[in-house]
Amino acid sequence: MITLKFILNGKEVSITTEPHIRLLDLLRDKFDLTGTKEGCGVGECGACTVLMNGRAVNSCLALAAQVEGYEIVTIEGISNGDVLSPLQKNFLLHGAVQCGFCTPGMVLSAAALLDQTPNPTEEEIKDAIAGNLCRCTGYKQIVDAIKETAKELQVK
Amino acid sequence: MRSTTIEILFPRNLSEALSIFSDAKENLKIIAGGTDVVTGIQQESKRFIDTEVLVDINRIPEIKGIEVRKKKISVGAAETFSDILRNNLIQNELPLLWKACSSIGSVQIRNRATIAGNFVNNAPCADTVPVLLVYNATVEIESLSSKREISLQEFLQGPYKTQLNVNEIVTRINIPIPSKTFVGDFYKLGRRRAVSISRITLAVLMDMRGGIIDEIRIASGAVTPIGARLTGLEKFAEGKEVNDRFFKTLASKMGEEIIKITGLRWSSEYKLPVVQQMFYQLLKSIEQRSL
Ligand SMILES: Cc1cc2nc3c(=O)[nH]c(=O)nc-3n(C[C@H](O)[C@H](O)[C@H](O)COP(=O)(O)OP(=O)(O)OC[C@H]3O[C@@H](n4cnc5c(N)ncnc54)[C@H](O)[C@@H]3O)c2cc1C
Ligand code: FES
Ligand code: FES
Repeated sequence: MITLKFILNGKEVSITTEPHIRLLDLLRDKFDLTGTKEGCGVGECGACTVLMNGRAVNSCLALAAQVEGYEIVTIEGISNGDVLSPLQKNFLLHGAVQCGFCTPGMVLSAAALLDQTPNPTEEEIKDAIAGNLCRCTGYKQIVDAIKETAKELQVK
Repeated sequence: MRSTTIEILFPRNLSEALSIFSDAKENLKIIAGGTDVVTGIQQESKRFIDTEVLVDINRIPEIKGIEVRKKKISVGAAETFSDILRNNLIQNELPLLWKACSSIGSVQIRNRATIAGNFVNNAPCADTVPVLLVYNATVEIESLSSKREISLQEFLQGPYKTQLNVNEIVTRINIPIPSKTFVGDFYKLGRRRAVSISRITLAVLMDMRGGIIDEIRIASGAVTPIGARLTGLEKFAEGKEVNDRFFKTLASKMGEEIIKITGLRWSSEYKLPVVQQMFYQLLKSIEQRSL
């Protein structure tokens, strides 16, 4: 067992765990952050996406011990309490959420994109979410929601 | 899911890492981005079933960074594909490498996966291998008691096999900056746009002078058991005059050479005509850009 210290959704946390469990399991089982989903478990679907030091990564491919000293953001850290983030609000407005299984990962991939590229092209949006599979929406609504959010954030 | 525990170590610098490796046994493995290792452990693959200790190399400054050293671009072994893609040196001087890195996996994979992890894993479909081969890349390897630098070609031994010993680590990959007269391209045919384990890759770098092929370097990936230079084909092409007919001849010769290397695998039958056509088009586009 090892004791890890890292920043989770803005708060410093410390936890004792087996070092080789996946970050995905650490978040879901030890922190009850079940917004992070497991789809494929092998890096192909993006349902488990979280931000690690601001970058989108698959939490099914990282080991718990590897987050020591890092900053992790899950979907639970994207909203401000009950107030949805602009991305979340626009996902809802544009019908980009159907069954919702892919949504946490999608929103985090989009958040990482907008953080680095505030005014992305359609190509850049598609590339940013290429590692997030959605079986329901056909992606157009998702791309629209991200575009709209970029526009709103530009105005501000 | 694995039941026995694995210990994970985080050396802070190279000498700390090298002393850990110095009395390493087969049960110790390096982990960088983990995109191959973690799936291997999860799926209890043969290569990881006995692993008891993982050494995370992401916090070792000596194996990071991209810089020019003696007319070569030296890329730290633990550089991620995302970092490589952001680097102007790579984009300007090694465009084939840039293109290959941009084709890998997804943003999430590129944010974690490292360049050394790609060729040390040495899957037949490792996308950086054919481009690193045409760039004549060399690999720097260290252990506590020795340091060596060998060509990537020598380093790669067979599918999932390299020259690396258990007490060694790849520290850097060094790539000679090609002269501006070299024009080339990388092509990958995958199943899906993102996250496709590539099925056919080709890298070509050509130096054409006065309509004659002065030097050509050709490497394939995924069609051959590991990424490999097609040296027979290169020799055949050098000194030849560039024209459409010659490119067609070269493309069909490439088919023969691949059959020779692979002894015709089940998938060759459909792959061959595709590779030949792709190769022909690559040559055409390189010719046009060379003028
Ligand atoms: C969903 C998905 C999509 C993918 N798509 C592609 C693709 O399109 N193209 C492609 O080529 N690959 C692809 N891959 C494979 C993988 O991402 C790459 O091979 C990657 O470069 C491996 O790097 P890593 O840092 O994650 O390696 P790790 O998993 O950390 O390590 C891989 C191997 O290399 C060894 N190793 C790592 N660094 C060193 C070092 N410095 N010295 C000595 N040994 C070392 C490890 O011990 C291990 O054996 C994909 C993987 C996934 C899961
Ligand atoms: S569960 Fe991690 S990518 Fe599918
Ligand atoms: S909304 Fe169902 S998978 Fe995307």
